[in-house]
Amino acid sequence: MKIDRRSFLGLGLGAAAGIAVSPVGVKLTDDSSIWTQNWPWTPVPEDGEITYDPSVCSLCPGSCGISVRKIKGRPVKIEGADGYPVNNGGACLHGIAGLQYLYDPSRVKTPMRKNGNRFEAISWEEAISIVAGKLADIRTDGAPETLGVITGSAAGSMPALFKRFLDAFGSPNAYEMPSLEGNLQLTAATLHGAGNTIGFDLENSDFVLSFGAGIIEGWGSPVACFKANASRKERHAKLYQIEPRLSNTAAGADKWIPINPGTEADLALGLCAVLLSKNLFTQGNFTGGFQKFTAVIQKEYSPTRVEASTGIPAADIEALAVAFAKAKAPVAVPGKGRGDHGQNLKEFAAVQTLNALAGRLNQEGGAFVMAQPEYLSFPEAAMDEIAEAGAGKEKIAGSVNKLIEDINGSDKPLLNALFVHNANPCYTLKNTQRVKDAFKKVPFVVSFSSFMDETAMEADVILPASTFLERTEDVPAGAGLPKSVIGLATPQVDPVFNTKNPGDALIQVAQAMGGTIAESFEWETYDECLEAVAADIWDSLSEEGSVVVAEGVPEGTPAVDVSYLAANPTSVEMKGEGDFTLVAIDNMRLTGTIPAASPFAIKTVSDKVLSGTQTVVEINPASAKGLKDGGEAIIATEQGEAKVKVNLNEGIMPGVIGMVKGLGHTFDNPYVAGKGVNVNDLIGPVIEPGSGLDAAFGIKATLKKA
Amino acid sequence: MSEIENKAEHGSMDGAGECAAGDPKDDKGLGLGVIFFMVAFLVCFLSGWLLFPKLLYSKHEQPFNFDHELHTAEAGDCESCHFLREDGTWSGIPNLASCMECHTDEPMGETEDEAIFCEEYVAKEKEVPWFVYSKQPDCVFFSHAAHINGENAAGKMDCKTCHGPIGESTSSRPYEENRITGYSRDIWGKNIWGFKKHSWDRMKMDDCANCHVEMDGHKGYCFQCHK
Amino acid sequence: MIQHENAHKFGMVVDLDKCTGCGSCMVSCMAENNVPFKEDETRKKDSITWMRVYKLTNGKPFPETEVVYMPRPCQHCSGLGDHGHSPCVSVCPATATDYGYDTGIVSQIYTRCFGCRYCMGACPYHARYFNWWDPKWPEGQENYLSPNVSPRMRGVVEKCSFCYHRYQLAREKGYMEEREIEENEYQTACTTACPAGAITFGDLNNPEHEVTKIVKPDPHPDPMNKNVVGKSRNPKVFRLLERLGTNTKVYYMSEREWVRKAGDNYLDGEWDKRKNHHGSSSDHG
Repeated sequence: MKIDRRSFLGLGLGAAAGIAVSPVGVKLTDDSSIWTQNWPWTPVPEDGEITYDPSVCSLCPGSCGISVRKIKGRPVKIEGADGYPVNNGGACLHGIAGLQYLYDPSRVKTPMRKNGNRFEAISWEEAISIVAGKLADIRTDGAPETLGVITGSAAGSMPALFKRFLDAFGSPNAYEMPSLEGNLQLTAATLHGAGNTIGFDLENSDFVLSFGAGIIEGWGSPVACFKANASRKERHAKLYQIEPRLSNTAAGADKWIPINPGTEADLALGLCAVLLSKNLFTQGNFTGGFQKFTAVIQKEYSPTRVEASTGIPAADIEALAVAFAKAKAPVAVPGKGRGDHGQNLKEFAAVQTLNALAGRLNQEGGAFVMAQPEYLSFPEAAMDEIAEAGAGKEKIAGSVNKLIEDINGSDKPLLNALFVHNANPCYTLKNTQRVKDAFKKVPFVVSFSSFMDETAMEADVILPASTFLERTEDVPAGAGLPKSVIGLATPQVDPVFNTKNPGDALIQVAQAMGGTIAESFEWETYDECLEAVAADIWDSLSEEGSVVVAEGVPEGTPAVDVSYLAANPTSVEMKGEGDFTLVAIDNMRLTGTIPAASPFAIKTVSDKVLSGTQTVVEINPASAKGLKDGGEAIIATEQGEAKVKVNLNEGIMPGVIGMVKGLGHTFDNPYVAGKGVNVNDLIGPVIEPGSGLDAAFGIKATLKKA
Repeated sequence: MSEIENKAEHGSMDGAGECAAGDPKDDKGLGLGVIFFMVAFLVCFLSGWLLFPKLLYSKHEQPFNFDHELHTAEAGDCESCHFLREDGTWSGIPNLASCMECHTDEPMGETEDEAIFCEEYVAKEKEVPWFVYSKQPDCVFFSHAAHINGENAAGKMDCKTCHGPIGESTSSRPYEENRITGYSRDIWGKNIWGFKKHSWDRMKMDDCANCHVEMDGHKGYCFQCHK
Repeated sequence: MIQHENAHKFGMVVDLDKCTGCGSCMVSCMAENNVPFKEDETRKKDSITWMRVYKLTNGKPFPETEVVYMPRPCQHCSGLGDHGHSPCVSVCPATATDYGYDTGIVSQIYTRCFGCRYCMGACPYHARYFNWWDPKWPEGQENYLSPNVSPRMRGVVEKCSFCYHRYQLAREKGYMEEREIEENEYQTACTTACPAGAITFGDLNNPEHEVTKIVKPDPHPDPMNKNVVGKSRNPKVFRLLERLGTNTKVYYMSEREWVRKAGDNYLDGEWDKRKNHHGSSSDHG
């Protein structure tokens, strides 16, 4: 017998036949087709019990109630909380995307110390002892007043704790970042006396006259404003929007009144003048030289004069004033865009005076003059001799912008140490280089940031903060709401990284310092501290998640001191040269302050705002002069220049360039940073005399084909 | 004669000659071929039926043995541990906290399995990593509520119809995972051909669809069972 | 087609006068449905946004310019004559998308899709998106993914599902309590997120539902174009490219005439002719 090819043929055929009548073929075919539908690298989210936990969002001053959906305790979605006294369901895109901040690539994951130009990770014990040691040296040198603090806002227990730390340490140098609430408090202090703030009853007003307030662009408490705005349709209420650009608010308004950039105060005073001359005003509780005010305003802000500066025809101004006065429940609203940066007191005061003249103070649908909520009672801080001496010293400046200016202008270091909490001044304040220079002149900067942002990068030590989803904090809702609500943010998840509640970090620094400073911070934890200092409302706050401190129309007619306006303060002039006026614009889908917009929010940004890694600026086709839609151009101001793309847009006044805030971040997060230009690099600050506010709404600029 | 015919003639002649010459030798070759065929057939046939199923599935022992019979005797029916939550979602395999509603950190009985449970999981506060025989891929949405709390007869099924008499088992059989698809063997069916004797023998899409056609007259739309 | 008693027909109406263009609906949709993100999302053609807000302008020069925002989810077409032959469903060779006659919702099954993208070509609303890349989440971010929606993979098409999983979850609760689900129990993520309350979602077959009260859909085919069914009897309400007969279930509403006109393409003078005959509908298909 010989094995030839036929034998092998037989072998092969036999094998084939054997397999054919076995299940191998069918099963392999089926399994391999199922295999093609396997993507083992695609995540399979774990299933489990669904729960919903309430908390409060503190990403912006809006302070909305949120409901965190969890699967087996793992947060998967944030939604607006129904029934919460601020937003009552509904949430803005930043809050909904809040979970992205938990796992943000730019989070500071552990305490850091700067060594040369690099950060190195250190332990909490080491970080606290470094900070305590440096601060002790400052006190030993007898200059406690050279410790400064910059906080994001002045409201709530965290700024209060930092303030307390300064008191015990011996420094008056506490500063807040510019905010709408701060501007409203300043306005209230100027017109109605200190300790007050102003709320706008938008949801009951039948005629909202907005001086550029981005009512649906993030002004005030955004969701509350969205709701009030949306209900206009059913209530047949009107919204007139005064601004140089067809913002979303202007687009949704019943009337858009384009105005020359930065002349809102003139218009408001012009309307006051018409009310006065036509005797359409209410004789309210005016003090501080009403006669003088009447004379000055009517003379300086006659319709023809106001027409010259604002570009709005005199007849329209008169008609607008009459319409405002004759409406049932009108209210005038100040604060261009979000009302935080680039604002001036003159405009705020003028608009509020218009409300006063129209008899709209403490009226339903009008402007409420309300006491600032006082729900925290700290025990007296213990102060030693050094603290007493330092506390008696004068504050360096009246505002954070002035502080930066003064530090840069001084030969010797005005501050030896600086704490930064809940703020990103090196990105948010105008002329960021100037801010960074000032930070470099402070020998020791401590950042309490959650993210490695522009300011954290300037720090010497970072004590990383847990995000609002990982910590407890009281969240007072401020910023233009006609009521006063205190919310409680509670930890929704254990800290993802080695971070702490900044309150705990501060308490530990205080305790490490010993003496009267430690005595002033005798709490074990921040949570314990909050419970103690908010004792008056703690029971309802911890049970209900929020407490409404004040609601409804306040009683009485508040006094209006018009002496500030009667002195006819000068309007801030725009700096620079060029054919165009560059104005910074607020876009709801971006944030000009902190934290930077999330990847989801950035994803929603129009390609007419951000194209690839380039900012797109808008100009009117009438002023294009050869610039093409989508084409590249160089924008130049006295502050700097940048390459941008151009969007020809009929919805902006000729001669104005609109550039969005919130782009041009430089930290390490490829989804959010490295995109476009920071408008604050192109605009320098202009400090308004008296108020100390940075009033630069824009700057002169040129735009040339690249 | 044309060229083609010529070639044909030659061809056939050649063939015939070869055939005649090689007859006796070829007989033997064919015989060997048949034997080879038979052997190969048998080997492949048998391995296809016996070896292949063993190779196709990898076996995983459960973390420890679970006695369903004992637990149903002690705790009651299936719903005592596998229940619908208040929101209608399915609780599935109980987590450690659920077990601890009856158990304590001290063993209640004397079985070796309970000792493992107490030492390895209760003491270390670790969830038991059970293998789930009826685990469906991520793209499947299955509503237990619709099948046991639903409107008509189709919505009042018992556990056994799909899961079989697992409640009567005293020990945990090994979990068999298909090496190619990664799915549990219970999905494709115990029988390698996919034949089913019982309603619980297989849990593929067709099995769902057949029952739906029977009960609802229609197999349903994609989103009814997919996500 | 299968006859369903008590079939639902889920749909929505968006009040464009209330929409602020804030983008909450887009982000809520992304967070709800595990939609991924990339470093560069400015190329909008490959930027996956089940819900996308478009900006429309009236095209007039300054200062007569007007702008309106238009959120666009999948329109869940029921196709010519309301028979369930949606443009995308009709062309899918893999049966990866079907029309749910019990809900009116057009599905998309990712594991079934093989990525031919015929459906994208067929969709007149650009509502479908292709995964050109595998989704990638920065380290840790996959922790927030929801188990209710399967994450997708490279090579498949995805689109808005009217948050079908929310319907499923609502129904599970309904089964548990042995009752039908209420109008407010099944709402899409975009609807609940909208801070302006611009979106109204519900069952167009249920006269009690708010969406039906606003839209007042005409149950009879349009006499001028038999393919069009469910036309709104509210003069302020319109659908996108309605005359195609796609019979979308997403309606839009605006007081402004130019906005309603922007919902379709009209020849010169056609709109005015049509406007004068509103109610009797002067369309010819």
